Formats: sequence, C-alpha cells, structure tokens
Amino acid sequence: MTTEISQADATTFAIVDELKARFGEANLVVQPTLTGMPVVWVAREQLIEVMRFVQQVNKPFVMLYDLHGVDERLRMHRRGLPPADFTVFYQLMSLERNSELMIKVALHEDDLRVPTLCHVYLNANWYEREVFDMFGIEFTGHPHLTRMLMPPTWNGHPLRKDYPARATEFDPYTLTMEGQDREQEALRFDPEAWGMKRHSGDTDYMFLNLGPNHPSVHGVFRIALQLDGEEVVDCVPDIGYHHRGAEKMAERQSWHSYIPYTDRIDYTGGVMNNLPYILAVEKLAGITVTPRAETIRVMMAEMFRINSHLLFLGTFLQDLGAMSPVFYTFSDRQRAYHVIEAITGFRMHPAWFRIGGVAHDLPRGWDRLVREFLDWMPPRLDEYERAMMDNSIVRERTVGIATHTTAEALTWGVTGPNLRATGLKYDLRKARPYSGYERFDFDIPVGTNGDVFDRGMLRIEEMRQSLRIIEQCLKNMPEGDYKADHPLTTPPPRDKMLQHIETLITHFLQVSWGPVLKANESFQMIEATKGLNSYYLTSDGNTMSYRTRIRTPSFAHLQHIPAVINGGFVPDLIAHLGSIDFVMADVDR
Amino acid sequence: MSYKLTRIDPDAPQSSQYPVGERRIVDDPMDDQVHRNVFMGKLENIMHNVVNWGRKNSLWPYNFGLSCCYVEMTTAFTAPHDIARFGSEVLRASPRQADVMVISGTCFIKMAPIIQELYDQMLEPKWVISMGSCANSGGMYDIYSVVQGVDKFLPIDVYIPGCPPRPEAFLQGLQLLQDSIQQERRPLTWVVGDQGVYKAEMPSQREKRRDERIAVTELRSPDEV
Ligand code: SF4
Repeated sequence: MTTEISQADATTFAIVDELKARFGEANLVVQPTLTGMPVVWVAREQLIEVMRFVQQVNKPFVMLYDLHGVDERLRMHRRGLPPADFTVFYQLMSLERNSELMIKVALHEDDLRVPTLCHVYLNANWYEREVFDMFGIEFTGHPHLTRMLMPPTWNGHPLRKDYPARATEFDPYTLTMEGQDREQEALRFDPEAWGMKRHSGDTDYMFLNLGPNHPSVHGVFRIALQLDGEEVVDCVPDIGYHHRGAEKMAERQSWHSYIPYTDRIDYTGGVMNNLPYILAVEKLAGITVTPRAETIRVMMAEMFRINSHLLFLGTFLQDLGAMSPVFYTFSDRQRAYHVIEAITGFRMHPAWFRIGGVAHDLPRGWDRLVREFLDWMPPRLDEYERAMMDNSIVRERTVGIATHTTAEALTWGVTGPNLRATGLKYDLRKARPYSGYERFDFDIPVGTNGDVFDRGMLRIEEMRQSLRIIEQCLKNMPEGDYKADHPLTTPPPRDKMLQHIETLITHFLQVSWGPVLKANESFQMIEATKGLNSYYLTSDGNTMSYRTRIRTPSFAHLQHIPAVINGGFVPDLIAHLGSIDFVMADVDR
Repeated sequence: MSYKLTRIDPDAPQSSQYPVGERRIVDDPMDDQVHRNVFMGKLENIMHNVVNWGRKNSLWPYNFGLSCCYVEMTTAFTAPHDIARFGSEVLRASPRQADVMVISGTCFIKMAPIIQELYDQMLEPKWVISMGSCANSGGMYDIYSVVQGVDKFLPIDVYIPGCPPRPEAFLQGLQLLQDSIQQERRPLTWVVGDQGVYKAEMPSQREKRRDERIAVTELRSPDEV
C-alpha cells in the first residue's frame, strides 16, 4: 500500500523535475501544500512558455481544469512564497499521468496584468473573464474581456478583500422605472461587439435572445443566437444570472457553518456537494474518518446521483416534447426522497456531512427502506430504457445530434457523463478513488458517439451502477462510529461531550467560533452528478477559509455550447441543452 | 376585515420606484355600498363571489423559476403531488397567459430588472407568490449579488417559508392565495364603479397557528425511520 502511494506521488511530482530541467530551478518556486499536486510559481513573463511546454510534454496536460485568482493582500502565512498582492492560478490535468499540476503567477497591485491563455487552452476564455470580473485582473490579448457574472453596469470587483460581502452593507435594493430601462438596455445583445455580421451575401441574419427565462434553459441562462432561418450560425451564451457569491461567502462562514452553502452549489446533488468540501477540510485538519462514515457518505452520495439523474431524465425528455416521463421519474424521486428524508431528515439540502463524519448515525430500520428502493428501481429503469430511449421520435431527435469527440471535450474541460459519452472511460471514482470508492465493485458506462442520445442513455446506465454501489453499502455496512475521534471533528461526538470537560470545551468553541485549521492549502475533486467538482481551500490559520475556489463542471459545459451547436438547428440546441444536464447554481455559484 | 387598495397610475413619472402605484389600507369597500342600496349591494356581492370563485380555481402559473426552490415547485406539478387538484396544472410559458408568478428561488440583482419586466408583461388580474427564504428575505444569502427579498420591488400576495419549502408547503401557499382571492374586490367592469383593486388583509398563519404549535411537546425521534 505505502509503496503504491509513493509511486503515485513520484509520477505526480515528476513534472516538477521536467519543468526544472527546462526552465531552470532558479526560475521556479515549488510550494509545499496538502493539495496532492505540485504547485509551482512561475514568473509572468514565462507563463505562456511554461503552459505550452506542459501542454506538449510527454504525457501531456491535456485539460485546463481550472483557472482563478486569489487576493493575497491580507494573507498572513505565506513564508517562502514569492511576494504577491494577487495570484492567478492555473490548474492543469493530465489523464496519462492521472494527476494535476498547479501553476501560479504572482501579480502586484499596480500592474495587474497577465497574458491571456486563450490561444494555448481555448477554455481559458470564460475563466479569464470571470477573474477579470471578480478581481479586476486584466488578461492582455483576451478577445472579449468583459464582465461575466456581475451585471455590465456593476462597480467594483467582489472577490477582492476590500470589497464588502454582505448585501446589508450596501443601501437596500430599489428599482425605479428608469433604472429598469437602463439595466435592460445594458443587457441588450450587440452582435457587432462579438464580431458578428448582420448580413452576409443575400441573407439577413436574425438575432434571437433565448432566456434568461425560457422553459428549456433550466433556470436562468441566456444564449443569444445568430440565425439563418432555423440554422444557428453562431451563438453567445451569457451567464451570471444566478451568481450567489458562494466563494465570497466562504470567507465569512466558519469551516463548519459553510457546509449548507455547498449543498446549494449543484442543488440537485444534495449531500454529494458536501463531499469534496468536507474531504478537503479533513485534509487540512488531518482527520481520517471511520469506514462506517465513509460508507454512509458513499451511499448517500449515490442516492443523490440517482435522484439527480432521474430529474435529468424527466426534464431532458420533456425538453424533447415528451410530457409523461417527468411524471414517472418524479414519482421515483419521491421514493428516493423517502429514504433520504428518513436518514438525513431533509429532502433537497440536508447539509448532512460533518467535518470528521456525518451528522447522525443511520436510524433503525434504514436497511429496510434502502432495500425497498433497490427493489423498486431496476424494473423502472428497464422501462425507461424501453419506453423512452427506444422511442423512434426520441431517437430521431437525438441520435447523431450535437456530437463531439473526446479530444474536443478535453479541450473544453468537459467532464463527467458528457465526457464518458464520447467513449473515454474516465471516472474519478475509479481513477483516483476517494472516500473508500476503491472498495466497491462497479463499472464505468461509456458511450460511443458523444451525441445527445448517448448522453441520455449513459445516465440510465449510471443509475444502475449507483444501485449496485448502494446495494454493496447495504450488505457491507461497517460497524463502528459515525464520527472520527479527533479534536477537530465538528461537532465532537455527543456522548463524549457529555462526559469529558475537555470535549465539552471543544464543543463550545467549535459551535461558537468554529474549528481553527492550520494554515495550508488543500484540494479535493470528486466525480459529482454532472462531472468533476472540486474545492480548493486556502486556510490562513483561522476559523474561516481565506479563499475557497469551487470548480464546477457545468461552467465548462456551457462554455462548450457554441463549439458543438454552431451549424446545427434550433431544435438541436434545445436537445443539446437538455442533454448536458446543468443547473445554473453549478455554473455561476 | 381591512383591505389593501391598489390604484395604478398610468402617468407615473420615470423616477418612481417599483412597485409603482398607490397603496393604502382601507375598510371593506362593500360595506359602504351596502348602505347605499341593499339590492344592488347584494347583487354586486354575489357577482364578486362568482367571479372570484372562477378565478381562484383556475390559477395558471407562469413557468418561471430561479433556483433550488424551483425544483420543489415543479415537484408539486408532478404525479405524487398533483397540483391539478387545485386547478393550477396549466403551466404557461408566456407571461401573457399566466395568472400567477411564483418567485421560486433567489432573486439576483442581475435578474431583478428582468423579473420586473416579466411581471409587467402579465395581464391583470395577476398574483405573485414568494417561495422560499431567498425570495422572502434573501435567506441565507446576505451577499452582494442578491436582492434581500423580492418584495423590494414586487407586490407579494403569499410568502412560503422554507429552504426549500416542501411541495406540500407550496400547495398550502397556493390554497392560501385562493382564500385571499375569494375575498378580493376587483372592478367588475372597466366602465362602472371604482377602478381600484382591493385585496383582503389575510391573517398571518404564524399567529393563527402559534398556540397549536407551542402545544406540541413530543417530537418524533430521529433514531427510528
Ligand atoms: S430558499 Fe433555499 S432552496 Fe430556495 S432558492 Fe434559496 S437557497 Fe435555494
């Protein structure tokens, strides 16, 4: 076991030597962290070169997984790091190495500029716009550096440390008639600004504004279409209508009281969202949880995966015009909620995982409920497959529609079922198991064509696999504690608290101030319902996080839309939107 | 029972704040009329009752959702909860055809002008339900991008607490709206009589149920399913 781990570490950190060999040791600063990946600081002038190098190195880093910034100005514990007021970090992923790499660039307040990465990794585009919006960092050479999440009329950069977090720190919101006209005018789509022509040859293009409120966009998402008849010539997705400032929120909630906010990131994923956050916090705290807690977590996470996929299936088919599937899948969801509610006490947002374990032990009789659910689902799934996916109209609308290849998906940072639908067998639960997934026996379903149909079918198959996992949890639920015996377990086990004054004091401190975590950085990625979701936490030795970066899969999936849909038809766009399975909270956070 | 009178001012200046129009608390408008002419008063009362009965039992909701709460709202539309029992299953994708708008989810500053526009596009008679803590007050999101309660610019008829409220709570909210519609006094025609909209001030559920709630002493143990 230990040799295996160190071998994995050796391959993960091999890139550091390769970088040193190429760029010289003196030009790099390697930062030790708990993230499990090499973190390397490079000079701004070398950034593009470094990026090109890692993109082309043997066993390349094919995907720009994440890109964001940190306001370093108030950070106390940064010994050994290059001086910086702001940092931009780039996280790259290599499938062959099965690991990530983080590159950081230090910036100074009076010169907040970095060269754009859009020409090296295409999907840097949206991330850079978001960093510009949130921190005011300029990306020189960016093709369209405008605000992304905040309204175009906004002042200030919310993620800066000197920007107030609370709405109640500002004047109460009011809307006047002229104010409304002004805001609406600012949102008007301007084709010229996006380099679009209004006419070409003998065609006059029509510009159609789909959203922010449209039945097929699942909430508040807007996409401006340039149409030639029914054909989509070009399109511009516009997001930010669902920005709840979740990352800023983390900077003022204690490590413990932030858990409910994670539930609401991918709001169909329930406790699945707690998992990456909790695991990252546990790395910072140095907690190893009990096998029972791990298994309970896996079971509940998979329950929510099924729940989310059922929602997907119903709404996806509804977007294609089928009315009844949503009634069937929602009655299954009701059964899933029956189990979830009995165990966690809540339906959508249980916030049920805790630092060091879960909130309660399983209630007596849980196994009967889970058993009933496991018996109920498989015939239903068969029926869905037969009645819906064999339906000739569904097939006409979906087979061969909105296809993309694996290479394309990786370029755009597409992960999860949408990536597997292209035929790539990459599931983080297998590739780098977390929370005890290595103990479970399940398959990774893959598609072949990467089209709308495959994305739909794949999720039905994934539900079957999740049922297999839950079945194994049911049969092999370990005995033992549901919370780790560790001073940072929050809140501490109750029976201990009632007996030891030490634990009572800790309990008091942890629920009033919150646990204090040592200064460091940690990271955890999981295979969430919609793709790879991760939390990158920076602790400055406080009761709150210094910076929490939440990387969500749907953000990348929406950025990918134009590349897939340009040249297709409007109904294909609707089918595609249904098939990528996004919720806006998972995009805008 | 006291009523809230709303009068729309078509010439409101551009600088006026939403919700535009005059609002004040008055007595039941029917009381006056009854003293003037017993027969006509009775007739008008019956007319109001009939029209309101029709309105409240065919509330067509607007297919509009903002975030998490929307999922629980749609759950109420599907088979296990079956909103058709209350005559509200006809989801409309166009604001022009809808009667009730449910603000289900967080109201973002970027979204507020759009919500206002959609509300303006709905035709009278129209109602608004605020579903969930976020729409009621901003909820757990006291953050720069969130409007602290959608009633900062929209007139709200029913508030449903919860984060998210269960589908059952949504159905209860809908029934409360129905009760309030039954008491309404809207102009029966645009040529005769007062053109103001009188909505009854409905009793607060919190106060109504307080005693009953406080009386509960035995809560179910979470150790048993
Ligand atoms: S009230 Fe809760 S469930 Fe509803 S939108 Fe707000 S955070 Fe989501």
